[in-house]
Amino acid sequence: MIRFDNVGLRYGSGPEILRDVTFHVLPGSFHFLTGPSGAGKTTLLRLLFMSLRPSRGLIFLFGENVGALTPSGRAGLRRRIGMVFQDFRLLDHLTTWENVALPLRVMGKKESDYSEDVTDLIRWVGLGDRIHAYPEILSGGEKQRAAIARAVIARPELLLADEPTGNVDQAIGNRLLRLFVELNRLGTSVIIATHDYALMDQLDAPRLILYDGHLQLRGAR
Amino acid sequence: MSFLSGIRDYPWTSLLTGILPARLAGLLPARFQTKQAQIVPSASVAGHALTVVIAIMTFLACLTAGAVYMVNQSAQAWVNDIASEITVELDPANEADIEKKITLVSLFLAKQKGITKVRPLSAEDSAKLLEPWLGQTPALSALPIPRLIAVEIDRSSPPDIGVIKSALAQNFEGVTLDDHRRWQAEIKTLTRSAALGGLAVLGLVAAATIAIIVSATRSAMASNRGIIEVLHFVGASERFISREFERHFLGLGVRAGLAGAVAAIVAFLSLPFLMHLLGGGIVTAAETRRLIGPGELDFAGYLLCVLVVIVVAGLCMLTSRLGVNRVLKSQE
Repeated sequence: MIRFDNVGLRYGSGPEILRDVTFHVLPGSFHFLTGPSGAGKTTLLRLLFMSLRPSRGLIFLFGENVGALTPSGRAGLRRRIGMVFQDFRLLDHLTTWENVALPLRVMGKKESDYSEDVTDLIRWVGLGDRIHAYPEILSGGEKQRAAIARAVIARPELLLADEPTGNVDQAIGNRLLRLFVELNRLGTSVIIATHDYALMDQLDAPRLILYDGHLQLRGAR
Repeated sequence: MSFLSGIRDYPWTSLLTGILPARLAGLLPARFQTKQAQIVPSASVAGHALTVVIAIMTFLACLTAGAVYMVNQSAQAWVNDIASEITVELDPANEADIEKKITLVSLFLAKQKGITKVRPLSAEDSAKLLEPWLGQTPALSALPIPRLIAVEIDRSSPPDIGVIKSALAQNFEGVTLDDHRRWQAEIKTLTRSAALGGLAVLGLVAAATIAIIVSATRSAMASNRGIIEVLHFVGASERFISREFERHFLGLGVRAGLAGAVAAIVAFLSLPFLMHLLGGGIVTAAETRRLIGPGELDFAGYLLCVLVVIVVAGLCMLTSRLGVNRVLKSQE
């Protein structure tokens, strides 16, 4: 599903943030991506999400060489990926419901076909009373949950989440982790970037550890 | 195939809600309605100032197109009038009995095929034709003014002008025939010049509109950068993103275009009143009528204004599409 071959990345003429990163992720797997702050977790996720291009090396997603993709090819792959951003990236002029429904709207699906699913998912993540609220009046945790609901609404084949429980209390965090596990059980590959060891300890999942620009895999069965 | 599927898949129903003001859009049937807000807010794309500028551009384009159309119609009427008449000119210098010669030439002309009416002009009538240039003066009667015979021809089966010309030259000395071709050619040149001038103005208006829309598209893209990023992240294609913008620009083009066209139509309708208001009398009106016809647009003229609106709206939509695609490509 994901293959990195000797991927390196530097911003401009600065030092390499990522060096010789090589790993692969199988379909249906669950990984944590961890490492100290500034180790490059978000950068690695951005490479996976094709919002950055590597300075060297090759990245394959769903069997496609990302470097050779056309814009429409990239858009097609992104529809198969759900991404939870650290800064949420919700659209301020859309309600919670509209933000969550956005990926389905972009896919050209009929509103009547997904209306109920969107409402159910919003209730499931605990935002039932915030369904018509705009992001500016949502708390950080509520925004986080809305962003997660948007990432998973289209049942992506790959879910990438950047610190998805960073702004929620433990109870909600556990609930969100259960959602990710449930999605994984249904076939979605999940990569969660976090430095929350309590969260990682709840699950026996392999860890991709970034340190000093290098990647190590631990806990693989 | 992709073009046809593009037309089929275009969000035509939501397009109507984009074009109409919110209050009117709310009155549309349910299938045109959506619970969801527009992904790109219209206020961030098309402000009032832009609408006013496009409306003014459309107004100018409609005025130009309408004026050229009226001049063209009027010139066509002139050409038709001139083409249905020829003039025979008799040189009075060498003839003692010019009246007898006029009668003979008139009888000769009346016998020719394709001629429907022969009207010899009296010496006074011929002299009156010079009055606009020389004024009313007794000296006119002393001048050797050529005598004229106005000849109307059957336009459905016109005579052979060349044959008549040579027959007149053979049978009558000092008699020439003017088939007004020179005037026709000059009127056609004048009309073509007016049309070319009009096209040049329309071209300038189109170029200015394109430049404005390109600039507005860029600023709309810049102010909606965050939205475009999120759309990319949720897998929106460039086509989807450009549609979200072009829908607003099409709506803007239709609204502003209609406003400009209605203003131009009102201007055409009130033209006689305006002339009166500016102190123009009956003579001014008559002269204007002679120059540009009745000074009102007919049905085809109004259709031309509608065409201008369609072209302006299409121009807004296509320009914004190309502008968005260009910006998206530069962001890759």
